[in-house]
Amino acid sequence: MSVIDILTRVDAICKKYEKYDVERLNGDNVAGDDAFARLYASVDLDVESALQKAETASQEKNRAAVVALNAEIRRTKARLLEEVPKLQRLALKKVKGLSKEELSTRNDLVLALPDRIQSIPDGSTNGAKATGSWTASASRTEIRFDSTSDGRFESEYFQQTEESNQFRQEYEMRKMKQDQGLDIISEGLDTLQNMAHDMNEELDRQVPLMDEIDSKVDKATSDLKNTNVRLKETVNQLRSSRNFCIDIILLYIILGIAAYLYNVLKK
Amino acid sequence: MGFFYCRTKLSFTRWNADWKNATALYEQAAVGYRFKKENEKAKEAFEKASKGQEMISSPWDAAKHMESAASLAKELGHWNEVSDFYRKASELYRECGRSQPASDALGKGASALEDTNPDEAVRLYIDACEILEEDGKEQMAFDLYRAATSTYVKLERYTDAATLLLRWGVAADKCNAVNSQCKAYLSAIIIYLYMHDFQQAQKCYNDCSQVGAFLSSDQGRCARKLLSAYEEGDIEEIKRLAQPSPITHLDHVIIKLARKLPTGDLKELEKEEDKETLDENDLT
Repeated sequence: MSVIDILTRVDAICKKYEKYDVERLNGDNVAGDDAFARLYASVDLDVESALQKAETASQEKNRAAVVALNAEIRRTKARLLEEVPKLQRLALKKVKGLSKEELSTRNDLVLALPDRIQSIPDGSTNGAKATGSWTASASRTEIRFDSTSDGRFESEYFQQTEESNQFRQEYEMRKMKQDQGLDIISEGLDTLQNMAHDMNEELDRQVPLMDEIDSKVDKATSDLKNTNVRLKETVNQLRSSRNFCIDIILLYIILGIAAYLYNVLKK
Repeated sequence: MGFFYCRTKLSFTRWNADWKNATALYEQAAVGYRFKKENEKAKEAFEKASKGQEMISSPWDAAKHMESAASLAKELGHWNEVSDFYRKASELYRECGRSQPASDALGKGASALEDTNPDEAVRLYIDACEILEEDGKEQMAFDLYRAATSTYVKLERYTDAATLLLRWGVAADKCNAVNSQCKAYLSAIIIYLYMHDFQQAQKCYNDCSQVGAFLSSDQGRCARKLLSAYEEGDIEEIKRLAQPSPITHLDHVIIKLARKLPTGDLKELEKEEDKETLDENDLT
């Protein structure tokens, strides 16, 4: 049996016995119709996972991995802080089956949330301490621009540890990848520009043609209108009631003559 | 077709050839023959129908029949007839005062003859372009120029191709199609370089730089870089320049040439330039 077959069979069996999955059911029931509870549960989960990441970051040796983890944690924190106002709004809404005390506890929980989020360590306060070689830049707060090629490299503060070397390498790699990506984007833009120019010229080419078509169609419509009006007059003349009645009377006369002849010949 | 014949031939009872009815009958005969796939007879019938239309002075229909006759001649493979018919059709269209169908007819003839008689094809293309230019409709001529250039390159008549490209540039200039103009100039420079004629390429570039739009365009910049790379004899640079950049937006025929750059030996170019400096030294 191939892997795909095994996977499909496992999926089918799981689906069959879903109703016995107590954990999932519990999770579902707790959330249920309550939007606040759902959102709060997810935010809680995110905070827990962020705390775990912070733990791993503090134990990690590789400087570059630490920075990456910290960046992720910071992103998660920013996202969670955005969710907090939503939670506040939901907390104030009244849900059926909920007592007054529960409502006020919800409010408190939501208010406590931002503090919890902020307290997740993301290495931003530890950064200056850990990298001894960069403290020089922290003291020079008045100089804003980030220069990598200044005299500091020659000073005795510069200690080339293995970690900082790796860090530097990773930085170069990422820069190269960015450059590659930008190259691809620029090629695409070139093609776009060329196509846009060609489309421009094509449209310019078609403008006088459209004008011609326009004038010709105008002429055709006015001709058609003329013809229609004349046709209407002619048809009206033909259908004027006098001619019509005369036609009917003559028809009757002919029918009468035919009937008379028929009778005569029958005898 | 026999009884059509007797309508046009003057006889005792007929003092004027009855072209009108004859033409109608010829047309019917031609359509019938074409339906039956008897191309030879259909072609003749179309010819006669066209002549008849001419006689009753309706050049438009005459031209249309001529074109049908020409396309049948193409299927039959009578190449000289093809070009004659298309030319005649184009003249009739011009009589009507409609230049676009005239040049279209010549264009169709040229594309029919591209494989078998490319010289004639190119002549037809150029005539078609001239017709349009006379009438001020250069925009439509771009496709014709393109086809003519690719035919020239196939024939390996590179100088002619380059001159045609410059003409294309002029036409593009008149209708403010800057992009096409710059592309035409860049293609001309590439062709000169492919012919290994560096002086010509330089001259061409200088001429084209008179046009401000080319000078400041992407294509102009690419040409400048190409020429400077040639001067320095930097093969890698040339190969690198041919890769992305404006060259990929040119006609595919030109791209093929550009990919084959640099042709020949760049050292020769350097030697030529050295000789010039020696001459100056002699004078002083």
